Amino acid sequence: MLLAYRIPRQPSTPRISIWRKLDRLGVARLGDGLVALPADARTREQIDWIAEEIGEMGGSSTVWLAAAGSAAQEKDIAAEMRQARAAEYRAVLQQAETAAGARPGERSRTLKRLQAELRRIGRRDYFPPAEREAAQRAVRALAEDSPSEVAR
Amino acid sequence: MRWATRAGVHIDRAACAWLIRRHVDPEPEFVFVDDPASVPGDATPFDMRGADLSHHGDDCSFETILRRYELGDPVLWKLAEIVHEADIDDERFDAPEARGVDVILRGLSMICSDERVLEITGPIFDGLYEFHRRALLLGREPA
Repeated sequence: MLLAYRIPRQPSTPRISIWRKLDRLGVARLGDGLVALPADARTREQIDWIAEEIGEMGGSSTVWLAAAGSAAQEKDIAAEMRQARAAEYRAVLQQAETAAGARPGERSRTLKRLQAELRRIGRRDYFPPAEREAAQRAVRALAEDSPSEVAR
Repeated sequence: MRWATRAGVHIDRAACAWLIRRHVDPEPEFVFVDDPASVPGDATPFDMRGADLSHHGDDCSFETILRRYELGDPVLWKLAEIVHEADIDDERFDAPEARGVDVILRGLSMICSDERVLEITGPIFDGLYEFHRRALLLGREPA
């Protein structure tokens, strides 16, 4: 699924708000004002709302159910999205490992934050990379070392 | 009155239907369509692209209906936080119930018709409302 959009340059706040919403969805950026996502019921709905919002702020957009010209191109886009998530999982893994040596209070705060972060990444992870498992394991290990009421 | 929304209802549409029945129109008839173009002429569309009663800015459709019909009940606004997080999940509100409600609705949509989802979720939202009404009065979670 593709979203092709144009938003007025000024004011910049709505532009940035749309940019952030697309980031949250984990879109692949194919060009200036062109993003891609695998199409399912949820992503289609989310993209539709964003398209609607772009219209309300004076921009324009079209939503496409598109097929890449070749399987290789589609694979490249999927690989790019997978790498973007892999980098996010690596950041979680690193923070979990650092927190393992921290004091209990600090550790449980980090644990809660990383659990939320894993959920967030998981929602936009359409092509799970190998790093996912490692990040999940590191956060679980952190939970097992923490007092039970925090690990819940 | 007739109301129309997209088929395959999920949290926002189910909650809107409940809100409409409880606070806007005591005898609503709901129509589910696959395409905005097939909304019957006499029906008010909600939670659909192009409809006024839909997402606007950061609001989900439930919040939009509360605003349009000037429903100021703080308990309804508390439910709006849960619906907002279950639907949009942008962490604007702290609503830990949202994740559970989201999963329940997704599961129901796998096993039931849209009409049945509205039947089942009616009492669920009634219960959520009552719980948060008591919580608000007590100033803490009711037993």
